[in-house]
Amino acid sequence: MAELTRTNKPPQAIAQQVSEDRGVIREYLAFVLAGEVYAVALTRIREILSPPPITEVPRAGRDVIGVCSVRGLLVTVVDLRRRMRLEEAPISRRSRILLAIANSGEVVGLMVDEVKQVIRLAEAEIEIAQTVLGGDVSEHVMGIARPASGVVVLLNLGSIVSGGNRG
Amino acid sequence: MAEIGDKAREEFFSEAQEIIEQLSRSLLSLDAAEKGGRSDPSLVNEAFRAVHTLKGLAGLFGASRMGQLSHELEDVLDDLRLGRINLSANVLDLLFEAVDLFGHVLTAEREHSDEPIPQLDELLMRIASMGQSAPSVSHPIAEYDLDPGIMAVLTEYEEHRLRSNVEQGLGLFRLRVHFDLATIDKALEDIKQRGKAHGEIITYLPTGEATSPDTIELDLLMASSDDLATLRASLGAENIVIEEVPRRRISSATIPPPGLTGQGPVTSVVPPKPESVVPRARHSEIAPQEAQGSLRSVTQTVRVDIRKLDHLMNIVGELAIVRGALSRTAERLRGEGMRQLASELHRLHRTFDRRLSEMQAGILEVRMVPLGQVFDRLARVVRQISREVQKEIRLVITGAETEIDKLIVEELSDPLMHMIRNAIDHGIESSRQRESVGKPPAGTIALNAYQKGNHVMIEIEDDGAGIDEAALLEKAVRIGKVDREDVGDLTREEILALIFLPGVSTRDEASDFSGRGVGMDVVKTNIAKLGGVIDVHSERGIGTKMTITLPITLAIVSALVIRVASQVFAIPLSSVSEAIAFDERGIRVVDGREVMTLRGTTLPLCRLRQLFQLTGTRDGRGFVVVTEVGNRRLGLVVDHLVGQQDIVIKALGETLASVRGFAGATEMEDQKVGLVLDAAALIEEVLAGIDAPRELMRSNG
Repeated sequence: MAELTRTNKPPQAIAQQVSEDRGVIREYLAFVLAGEVYAVALTRIREILSPPPITEVPRAGRDVIGVCSVRGLLVTVVDLRRRMRLEEAPISRRSRILLAIANSGEVVGLMVDEVKQVIRLAEAEIEIAQTVLGGDVSEHVMGIARPASGVVVLLNLGSIVSGGNRG
Repeated sequence: MAEIGDKAREEFFSEAQEIIEQLSRSLLSLDAAEKGGRSDPSLVNEAFRAVHTLKGLAGLFGASRMGQLSHELEDVLDDLRLGRINLSANVLDLLFEAVDLFGHVLTAEREHSDEPIPQLDELLMRIASMGQSAPSVSHPIAEYDLDPGIMAVLTEYEEHRLRSNVEQGLGLFRLRVHFDLATIDKALEDIKQRGKAHGEIITYLPTGEATSPDTIELDLLMASSDDLATLRASLGAENIVIEEVPRRRISSATIPPPGLTGQGPVTSVVPPKPESVVPRARHSEIAPQEAQGSLRSVTQTVRVDIRKLDHLMNIVGELAIVRGALSRTAERLRGEGMRQLASELHRLHRTFDRRLSEMQAGILEVRMVPLGQVFDRLARVVRQISREVQKEIRLVITGAETEIDKLIVEELSDPLMHMIRNAIDHGIESSRQRESVGKPPAGTIALNAYQKGNHVMIEIEDDGAGIDEAALLEKAVRIGKVDREDVGDLTREEILALIFLPGVSTRDEASDFSGRGVGMDVVKTNIAKLGGVIDVHSERGIGTKMTITLPITLAIVSALVIRVASQVFAIPLSSVSEAIAFDERGIRVVDGREVMTLRGTTLPLCRLRQLFQLTGTRDGRGFVVVTEVGNRRLGLVVDHLVGQQDIVIKALGETLASVRGFAGATEMEDQKVGLVLDAAALIEEVLAGIDAPRELMRSNG
C-alpha cells in the first residue's frame, strides 16, 4: 500500500496544474470499497485516520456508524460502503477514516476499506458517468477514469457527504 | 465601504449595536418620564450623545447611510435639547422608528448591501419636513432679577433649560461656593450630585472674587421646587452660601402653564447675546458628570467574540480529561507501591481540579449577560404595537438583572417577541371591553424573570381575556389534530397545550401582527432547541401566563453519567431530580404506559434500552433516573449509574441534526464520546406520544 504523505505545500499548488492539451490536472485520493477502486478530489480531504473508538448513535440513519472525537472535534462517521449501497463488511486492520469537508463546512468521517494512493488525472482522462453509463447511476458517481493502474470510479464528495441519512 | 479589517468591522458593528440599544433605553425612559409628566433633560442629552457617537463611528467606517440617519437625528435631538421643538408623541414615534431603522441600516451595511431602504428615505423626508416650532420668545424669566452678566453668557442650551425650569414654576437660587483650586473637580462634582436631588443646576460661573490665590469662587445658578430653607438645610455648608434669586414683581398671571409658549408679555429684559462672548472657564454644553459615566464603561469592559469563549471552554473540557488521567495515574502509582509519588501526584491533582473548576466558573460568568438586554427591545415592541393597535398597555418588568448565557439571550428574542405580540393582540381586550367587565382600561403585561436553581424562569403574563378553550379545541378538531371522540378525555391542561400545535391559532383571521412571523409551535420548537420548555396557564377573563424554563448555560454542565447495555450516556443534572433503585415488581401498566409510584405520585417510565433499541447484556442492577423539566417528570430506566461529571456539550453535526433525543455529545475520560440526553425532548416525546395527539411529537422532531 502506498503511504500517503502530507506535504507542507498548500493543497491547491499541488492539486491543480494545467496541461496545455489535456485540461486541468487534479489530484485524487484513491481507496478501496468492496474490492473496487474509488477516488475523491484530494482538496476535500483533510486527514486520514486509523479508526478511533466510535460511539454509536441510536436512531441515526443506517449509513451512520457513529460519532468520534478527533482531538476535540466531534466527527460523524459515515460508512461509505453503506452509503454507496455496497455489501457490508466489518472494520478491518486496513480500514481508514477519511476526514472530508462538506459544503456546509462540517467535517465528516468516511469509513473506507483501504487507502491506496494519490493519483493525478487530467480532465480529458475522466469520462462523465452519465454519458458512459446512461442517466441511471448513483448520484454520488461523478465519472470514471482509467489510469495505468486500472479503472477508478470518481465520487462526488459534495453529494456523498451532504447525502443525509436516506435509507 | 472602505477597506477595513474584518476584526475592526466586527467591533464597529457590535459597538454600533450597543449604542443603538443604549439609545433605545434612553428613549424609553424619556417616554416614561414624559408620560409621568416629568421632563428629564439629561435623558435627551444621553440620546443626543448616543446618536453623536454613532455619527462619528459611521464616518470612520464609511457607513454612509448610517451617517446620514444619525446626522439628521442629531439635529432633531439638538432641537429638542434646545427647546426648539417640543417632545410630542409624534417626535417620540419618529425617534423610535429611527431606532428600528438603525437595525435595518446596520444589517445592510454588514452585508454590504446596496439595496435601497425605502423606510429610510421616507423617514429622512419626514425629518426634513418637520417644521421647527418657534421657541418661546417671551420670558417669565423676566420676573427674576438675574444678573445681566449671567444672562449674557448663557449658552443656547442653558438658556433653554433656564426658561423651561422657570416655565414650570420652579424657583431660582444662587449658590455662591468657595472651592479650593486643588480639589475643585471633586467638590464641584459632589455638589452637582447632591443638587440633583433638588433640581437642576443650570450653569456655573466664576465670580472673580476669590479670597486667596488658592481658591476660586463660583456662582451656581440652580432651579428647584424646594424652598430656600430646605436647600440650605441640605446643601448649605461653610463654603456654600445659598440665596434665592429675587423676583422683580409678584404676578401670578404671568407664569404660563408649561407647554403654552409665546403668551407671556413680550419684553426685552433678557439682553440680546453680545457678539463677543466673554471667555469662561466652564463646562461644555453636555454636562460632564454624564460624560464621565460613559467614558468609564468604555475603559472597563472588553468586548469578546463568543467563539473565543467557546474555544476556551473546549480547552477547559480537554483539561478535564487530563485531570481524569492524572487521577488514574496517581492510583496506578499507589498500586505499584510508589506511595510517596502517588500522594504527591494526588495533591497536584487536587490543586489542578480546584483551579480548573474556578476557570470553568470564570468563563461561564463571562458568557452571562442580563436579560435586560432583550427586555429593552421588548419594551420598544410593546410601545410600538400598542400604538398601532390602539390599546393602552402597561409593561411591568421585573428581574431584568437575571443573568443567562449570551447565546440563549440571542435566540430568545424572537420567541419572546412573538409571545408579547400575541398577548397584546389576542390577549388584551380593547379598553371599552375591559371597562365593561370592570377592568382598568389599560392592559398590563408583566415580564418576570428569576433564577431557580440551575434554571432561569421567564414569565409573560397578561391580564387579558384568557384563552378560549372551547374555540381552541374546536379548531384543533376541525384541522384534524384531535379526534372528536377524544375531546371529552382531555384535561384543561391538555387543551391549553393544543395552542402549541402547528396550524392552531386562537383567532381565525390572522391579524397584521400575529399573522406574520411564526406561530406558537415555532416558539415552542425554538425554546426546545435551547433546552427549555414552555408551559401555558390561562383563566378565562382573568389572563394568560406563559412560563418558560431555560437552562442558565449551554456551554458546560454537570451531568449524571449512566450506562445502558454497553453504551454510556450523560444526562444534565439540571434536569435530574433523583435516582432510585429500579424494582420491576413496582411497575404497573396504565393505559399502555409503564408507571411506578414515587412517594405517592405516579411517575411515567421510559426504558432507554427499548427507546434506543440497544442490544447487549444488561449491565448492572437497574436504576430509575427521575428527570424533571418544567413541571413534567419522567423516569428513565437505565442499567448502571457511573457517576457525576462536568461535561462540555458539543453539538452533533448537521448529518445527525434530525436525530431526536440528544442534546449533543461530550468527551468522556477514556477518550470515548458519550451522547448527552436531551431530557426536555425525551419527556416531550414520551409523554406527548400517548397523552396528546401524535402531531405534537412530530412537530418537535
